[in-house]
Amino acid sequence: MRHWWVWVWLCLGATLFPPVHAAGPSTDKVLNPGAELWNEVRGRQAAPATTQVQGRDSQVLVNEWGEHFRDYRRQRFVRYSGYLLAGVVSLLLLYHLLHGGLEVTESGRKVLRFELTERIVHWLLAGVFLLLTVTGVVLAFGRFVVLPWSGPEVFAVIASASKEGHNLFGPLFIVALLWFFVLFVGRNLPRLVDIYWLIRAGGMLGGGHPAAGFFNGGEKIWFWILTIGGLAVSTSGVVLDFPALVEGRNPLVLALVVHGIAAVVLIAASFGHMYLGTLGVKGSLEGMKSGLVDEAWAHAHHVLWYEELNRKAQAESSAREQGQ
Amino acid sequence: MARMKFYCDAERCIECNGCVTACKNENEVPWGVNRRRVVTIKDGERGERSLSVACMHCSDAPCAAVCPVDCFYTTKEGVVLHDKDICIGCGYCFYACPFGAPQFPEDGAFASRGKMDKCTFCAGGPEETGSADEFRKYGRNRLAEGKLPLCAEMCATKALLAGDANVIADIYRQRVVNRAASSLAHGVELQRQKFRATPERERTRTRGSEG
Ligand code: HEM
Ligand code: SF4
Ligand code: SF4
Repeated sequence: MRHWWVWVWLCLGATLFPPVHAAGPSTDKVLNPGAELWNEVRGRQAAPATTQVQGRDSQVLVNEWGEHFRDYRRQRFVRYSGYLLAGVVSLLLLYHLLHGGLEVTESGRKVLRFELTERIVHWLLAGVFLLLTVTGVVLAFGRFVVLPWSGPEVFAVIASASKEGHNLFGPLFIVALLWFFVLFVGRNLPRLVDIYWLIRAGGMLGGGHPAAGFFNGGEKIWFWILTIGGLAVSTSGVVLDFPALVEGRNPLVLALVVHGIAAVVLIAASFGHMYLGTLGVKGSLEGMKSGLVDEAWAHAHHVLWYEELNRKAQAESSAREQGQ
Repeated sequence: MARMKFYCDAERCIECNGCVTACKNENEVPWGVNRRRVVTIKDGERGERSLSVACMHCSDAPCAAVCPVDCFYTTKEGVVLHDKDICIGCGYCFYACPFGAPQFPEDGAFASRGKMDKCTFCAGGPEETGSADEFRKYGRNRLAEGKLPLCAEMCATKALLAGDANVIADIYRQRVVNRAASSLAHGVELQRQKFRATPERERTRTRGSEG
């Protein structure tokens, strides 16, 4: 056996380049009628089969996406969104324990940050968002986190209330989202300072506060995640709410996949937003509640906006003086 | 314990829709819902075949895996049933089911989905066996009465078989053997022509175009 490797190459060759006659169809091969039939059934998803029953996809004998949907939902969606949400919460917790929230010594003088309409629309959007998050999370994860300790009877009530609530509040979210967009888009257009702010991670890497306008780079990113993600959950949500808009089953599966992924991204981002708005940067919540923020807070976090405010105030007072 | 199965013999089904009608009548199924349907492939072409489908009572049921409220259960006869008191009508089971078995009656203002309805293998549901509630929600519980699903009982050509998986498999095996024997008696050429889903002419053409 000195030339054993010749055999290895021959075997490899035989597997890679099978003899030609084995590949071609043989004329006297008798096909299995049963197997042939099922090949046709599975391969004929697009070509019309017919049925007397008139229902969604009734003419489709075998639903080829079914197993993919099952696999996506059980093995991917539920698992990875669980990881993402738990990961974001633990990171925020860790950050808060190690670093703590930012605080500035108050000056006692207040400036107006948000008008009444702006505050109402913000809280409308936030309220609807929270309701949709809670009810949506029950639909997506309730089976794994609520059902085991609530029992099926109680969970049936929670789940159907969640579904009805989610379906009802969805359209309200769209209204609030669009209104919010119109009110705030002007102050969320990207500027050069935002890039500098982001590179410095908003001062989290040390070296003091980088300058920011009315909204800083981080806030603008949240605004655009909310807008784009919000549009994604809204369009897919409308399809899920009104299945009659689409035909067949695959567009609904697609809508559900888009909806789930966009929703989980939104929820994860909203955790960050809620942390920074309350514990992370003290004094921020006040601005959204009363509309007023402390001058020291404005100077520390949004110095470009603060300077602009001062310039405007000065211009106004000098105009008044001239008028007198 | 017997494990219940359906089998539809495509060589026998004549698309009479008797099973669909029998099911609808026996179970007084909600409006707009058919628990069973007959699908014809290659309608009017050579190799046309029809098959009657409903829930196939999967051993590892995809519907049960994706249901957000976990309302499915499998009886000891292997029948997959669900609890309409728990179902929220989300439709996920319909997306996962290989056979499109779950059906939804229209409900409420926007014609949204009502609670899911599907073939129960004529085995009722979680309500008390034989009760009025069981019949109203799930239809007849024929299995408890020692009878098989009416669709199969009704099938004129005995294309649709229902019952213990082993018995069904034996019947079908016997049919296959008999068919093979009869086609051998008619000669191999006939067998090739008759059972192929694609006509011989088309086959030759594709082969030719492949070179
Ligand atoms: C903040 C916004 C939203 C969040 C966080 C959210 C979250 C979710 C989640 C997590 C699910 C479950 C997905 C799954 O089980 O795979 C879901 C389902 C659903 N969502 Fe949303 N959603 C939002 C907005 C909307 C909007 C705007 C609409 C409609 C206009 C909507 C309509 C629906 C519908 C119809 C379902 C399917 C549930 C069912 O039919 O039972 N959602 N949502
Ligand atoms: S409903 Fe569909 S997935 Fe569920 S057991 Fe029946 S055939 Fe299988
Ligand atoms: S429609 Fe009902 S049975 Fe089907 S997955 Fe949704 S809750 Fe479960």
